[in-house]
Amino acid sequence: MEYKKVCLMYRHEDYAVDGIRSALGLAVENMYAYGVVMDTELPPFDEHGMETIEMLRDMEGDILTTVPANVEKCDFTAITIEELGEKLREMTHIIPYGIK
Amino acid sequence: MKILNVYRSEPDETVKKLVEIVTRDRESMSFDLNVEAPDYDKLVDMIFEADQTISWW
Amino acid sequence: MAKSLGIFVTTESCMKHVMGITKAAKAKGSNVKVFFTWKATHLAKDPAFPELCEIADDVSICVDSYKKQGYDIEDIPKGLTVKKMATQAQHGIIIEDFDCYLSL
Repeated sequence: MEYKKVCLMYRHEDYAVDGIRSALGLAVENMYAYGVVMDTELPPFDEHGMETIEMLRDMEGDILTTVPANVEKCDFTAITIEELGEKLREMTHIIPYGIK
Repeated sequence: MKILNVYRSEPDETVKKLVEIVTRDRESMSFDLNVEAPDYDKLVDMIFEADQTISWW
Repeated sequence: MAKSLGIFVTTESCMKHVMGITKAAKAKGSNVKVFFTWKATHLAKDPAFPELCEIADDVSICVDSYKKQGYDIEDIPKGLTVKKMATQAQHGIIIEDFDCYLSL
């Protein structure tokens, strides 16, 4: 069985946290799920938020960001736009989530 | 691999860059949803024809 | 036979597109499933929502999002049943089981 690879991308703060929850929901369904926070700097995650990211990583997913401040504050994995583009080429589903 | 890029708004530089990389060496088509009266019938045909549809912000 | 289509809705201003695409896909004999999450759960109160529930094969919303958007989960939108007040697993079904995928 070939597992789905899904990347959700968030450019608006109001959609990022729920979008990360969506990514976790897909990981629970046995998919490789990635979330990418772009353009927007998020406030530091609380304990529950950090647990969500840890759970996603335990299931071989990840939360990445093109914004350096989010790496520092939220422990997201850094990625450039060019690297993201290459990563998207491997995905079965690409989901620009919410609005920009 | 045939990719359909659907644009929900005018694509900015970020979207253009990602589309350029994702569609490199692949067949691609595009559909602009950001118009007064989109041709939904045509869009559905394109979705059925594509191997992957990406609906950009 | 027409391909099946799953639509994942995350934004609030796209009901016209959801309706237009669903109608066009159904006219081609497609099996259409629509799942609304986060801010898009406001669309469950759109006047066109009951009609969407009639023409699509399956419509559901994320009940957790609906609650977070300020609605009472006992207030089931017209066209839905309790069973269709669902979880993110519905998104998983769209990805796994449908031929074509569209996010709006």
